[in-house]
Amino acid sequence: MLLKFRFAVGLGLLLWLGMPSAWGAAGPLDGDFQIRSAFVVIDRGVLQLNVHVQYPINDRIRSALQDGVTLAFDLELNITRHRRFWLNAGVVDMTLRRELTYHAVTDRYVLRDEQGVEQESFPTLEGALDKLGRVEDLPILVESQLRGEGPWLVAVRAGVRRGRMSDTMRALMFWSDDWHRNSDWYTWTLTL
Amino acid sequence: MDTHALRLFGVRALTAVAVAAGVAALVLLAASVENSTLFSHWQPWILLLNICGVMALMALLARKFWQLYRDFRDHKPGSRLTVRTVLMFGGLVIAPLIIVYLFSLDFINRGIDSWFRVEIKQGLNDALVLSRSALDLRLREQTRRTEIFARSLRELRGPELLQRLDEERRATEAKEIIVYDASGRASALSSDTPMAQQPAPAPPDVALQVAAGRTYVSLNPLPDGQYTIATAAPIADAVSARATRRYVLIDYEVPQELSALAEAVQHTSSQYGDLSTVREPLKNTFRLTLTLVVLLTLLAAIYGAIFSAQRLTRPVQDLIAGTRAVGKGDFGTRLPLPSRDEMGFLVHSFNDMTKRLRRASEEAKRSRQAVERERERLSVILSRLSTGVIVTDRELRLHSANQSAATILGGDFGNPEAGQNLAQLAGGSMRFATFLDELRGRLKSGLDEWREQLTLPGESGERVLLWACTPLPDEREHGGVVIVFDDITALLAAQRDAAWGEVARRLAHEIKNPLTPIQLSAERLRRKLLGGMNAEDAQLLERATHTIVQQVDAMKQMVNAFSEYARAPAMRLAHFSLNGLVTEVAELYRLQDPDAEIRLDLDPTLPEIEADRGRVRQLLANLITNGIEALAGVADGCVELSTRQQRAEGAIAAVICVRDNGPGFRKEILGRVFDPYVTGKPRGTGLGLAIVKRIVEEHGGRIEAENRPEGGAKILVLLPVSDQDRALFAGGERRVELRRERA
Repeated sequence: MLLKFRFAVGLGLLLWLGMPSAWGAAGPLDGDFQIRSAFVVIDRGVLQLNVHVQYPINDRIRSALQDGVTLAFDLELNITRHRRFWLNAGVVDMTLRRELTYHAVTDRYVLRDEQGVEQESFPTLEGALDKLGRVEDLPILVESQLRGEGPWLVAVRAGVRRGRMSDTMRALMFWSDDWHRNSDWYTWTLTL
Repeated sequence: MDTHALRLFGVRALTAVAVAAGVAALVLLAASVENSTLFSHWQPWILLLNICGVMALMALLARKFWQLYRDFRDHKPGSRLTVRTVLMFGGLVIAPLIIVYLFSLDFINRGIDSWFRVEIKQGLNDALVLSRSALDLRLREQTRRTEIFARSLRELRGPELLQRLDEERRATEAKEIIVYDASGRASALSSDTPMAQQPAPAPPDVALQVAAGRTYVSLNPLPDGQYTIATAAPIADAVSARATRRYVLIDYEVPQELSALAEAVQHTSSQYGDLSTVREPLKNTFRLTLTLVVLLTLLAAIYGAIFSAQRLTRPVQDLIAGTRAVGKGDFGTRLPLPSRDEMGFLVHSFNDMTKRLRRASEEAKRSRQAVERERERLSVILSRLSTGVIVTDRELRLHSANQSAATILGGDFGNPEAGQNLAQLAGGSMRFATFLDELRGRLKSGLDEWREQLTLPGESGERVLLWACTPLPDEREHGGVVIVFDDITALLAAQRDAAWGEVARRLAHEIKNPLTPIQLSAERLRRKLLGGMNAEDAQLLERATHTIVQQVDAMKQMVNAFSEYARAPAMRLAHFSLNGLVTEVAELYRLQDPDAEIRLDLDPTLPEIEADRGRVRQLLANLITNGIEALAGVADGCVELSTRQQRAEGAIAAVICVRDNGPGFRKEILGRVFDPYVTGKPRGTGLGLAIVKRIVEEHGGRIEAENRPEGGAKILVLLPVSDQDRALFAGGERRVELRRERA
């Protein structure tokens, strides 16, 4: 009985020590990735989001883009109303999704929205990421949607992942696809 | 909850965890592949669930292996068969699995590499270069055109400028031509689409490029797959030909055919490049998946082998355990039926066998108990029999005997073992030795059935037995015989006593009556005739009548003695000290015969006895007289009287022992010394010891006579000290009486 207990403890320790080191291995999206600033302004009753995101940039990203990989950039916004004796009530839960590709024929980095309606190209990756990282005056809701009394909690998080991959390929790449990373949540209290 | 239930719960919980983790991971994976965001969110959980499932499976397998190892180490029945089965299964599975695994690995490497062939990559790169070349040519052409156009604008302002822009736009099929002034504002615009709004400011990089005096050119892809070429050139001053910081921006549209071709190349190249980036991860994924599948297959095969082997050997283990239980005598073992196959038939046969064995065992047990009961009953009967019983064979090996046999023969059976030779049980008893000699002789002569009287000499006199021999019914060929014998010595003595009693009564009746007339007649004759006779005749008459009277007195005494012997006892019981009476009688004889040496050895702890004092006095007097008379002519003759207390048959008896150092009893009369008219003395009447024996019997006691080894006679008298002891003594003697009756 004692041997079994020791075996179980040993195995648990091994997993505990081994798993973080495996998860902490260098990934393709390594680099400074954080939300530097975020705030909401109210312009004529419309709440507009302003976010400055520092996206990671390295040679692997550049090389992957030039090889034809499409990167998806998500900006998640979450607004909840604080309730003292119950779970917070959700007000807004939205995601701004954009894609960045490298256009080999024109040698430009193309930034487009999820539907591919809006498109913009940049001669440099830095320029494209700088554009991606600056979200200005993005309307998120009208003031009247904020029912009841505050405070309201606003949380913003940015994410990067590999986009435009088929479901089959995504399933097959389950064990080896490390092209996804999220920033920490950036939260603040919204007061009107 | 006991340990077994806890283990069972653990195994079931682990199995449930493994299955639940696998199902949950599968569901999450299926749901997440349709949504890339969900996939990103759930991937760690899917990974964790898979790890949990694998860990649970590994734990189950490890437990199975440990169980197998423990069973093998402890030599548990069936463990070797299980190990052999597992090794065989493993061996059968591992070899093909490894071959398939290696081939599959090679196939994956080659197959995936073939998807990304160098030729395709090179072709796509060439197409890309070609597209770029074609577009570069267009770019250069549009750039030169823009530069020329910009030079043509250096003197134009206002409407002329607008007219020139429109002409140029129509001539070149440009989408839009805008002239920016030094402040970066659009000062003139010509567009192929009606625009109401103010044109957007020029991109910063355009202004920077132009401000540096260089021509700006850019090829821009559009969302609809079209390309535009944006060119900008500074407009020189009309006088100095220096740049005025004004510049013209022309947006040309690439021809649709060229755009479509370039876009197709771009799309294909991008897709191919995208796929190329996953080549190595894809190979790794396939390798990992293949390895996991092979590993899982191997583990599942081993687990299945262990499970199947244990399932197969479990009935065997049950059979072994059942066989051991049957070997230990537990016939109630019932094994569970595993299935309806051959093993099930075997288990069913085993159960049937144990059922029959149990019935047979119970039957045998009942028979054994019945035999045992009969044996115990027979043993009780034999032990209570006053008849001696000995079962033996022709080699005189004892089969069984009762205590009465030992008592009668004077041997010591103790707890005789079956098969022990009878000679070893004789214990120096002369009677037993003579008995065995007689028995051996008869059996050797071929006799196995008789019924006779047998006289056995002994230290305390002869014993007469009535013995019979019968062969055992089932052991005639083995020579087994049963010998039954009774001691009829007392019976014969009683018969003699009865005969002598009758003789005495007749003598008293027939002889005593005429004696008195004879004596009276003789005295009358003497009185009548004595006076008329002469002296000589008178003297003769006197002597004759005197002799008659004297002899008649003698005859009267003899008749009185007979009368005393035959007289029915009239006991007058009283408590008195036996030691005192012995001393008193001894003193009387010392006074009568000073030469007589009488020694006393009396037990001071002897209690008073309840007896007829007069008869006990007569008993002592007869014994002392007998002893003194036996010492006639013996130098240093001595009669010793001793008393002691003895517990016999549960009763307390006073023992009187009278010994002398005379010649002892003659051997021929030793067995009959207590019979009337049996005497070893020339002048004895032969009634002294007979009367002693009668008195002892009247008091419920026992008397024995024997010769002392050192010479002389020894008479031992046992008298119960009280009526209660007499009753107990009589109970102990009852078996002797029964023996007498049977005889």
